[in-house]
Amino acid sequence: MAARPTSKRPARPAAPSPAAPSAAKPLALVYLLGWLIPGGGHLWLGRTTKGFVFLVMLPLMFVTGLALDGRLFPFSLGDPLVALAAVANVGAGLPYFIAQALGVGAGRALSVTYEYGNAFLITAGLLNALVIIDAHDIALGRKEQP
Amino acid sequence: MNLTSHLLLMALFAGCVAVVGAVLLKDTLRQQARSAAEIFGSLVGAALVLGWILYFLPI
Repeated sequence: MAARPTSKRPARPAAPSPAAPSAAKPLALVYLLGWLIPGGGHLWLGRTTKGFVFLVMLPLMFVTGLALDGRLFPFSLGDPLVALAAVANVGAGLPYFIAQALGVGAGRALSVTYEYGNAFLITAGLLNALVIIDAHDIALGRKEQP
Repeated sequence: MNLTSHLLLMALFAGCVAVVGAVLLKDTLRQQARSAAEIFGSLVGAALVLGWILYFLPI
């Protein structure tokens, strides 16, 4: 019986593996932490520099919006744009609830900076949503550690 | 707050968005700085260009 010829083919290089998931953190907690504390998801996943930048910048934008007489919009189903703005406001997380508890964010439509304030408040919430999506990608190992 | 300069507020807004966007998109400090400068320049530049276009429109 003839011996089977050994293969001369070089070994195939291993396919590049995606970055390892960050120690299997529960995704729901990453979302919740990232939403309530801007940058909290990144901090928990070990991306401390990014997390601290978000932790400083997003609440700073939110507070600036309040200081510029911006308004925290109510959930009004009769006015879809107002409802969308309200969803964006809630996206800021804990700063939103603190502002609501303190009774600030009524907005002053006659103020020169009213629209700027709204832009800051809405954008802070929307950017936090992007930050949560980024934390999601990191938690799933789709982003490599720099 | 007595901060009523539209140009200053626009620049402040663009700066905040640029920093957060750059940190989200890039990983190294050098890339982040470059990306933040690009985003900031794009936002402010686009606002100035649109402002001039609107100036000539009879609104």
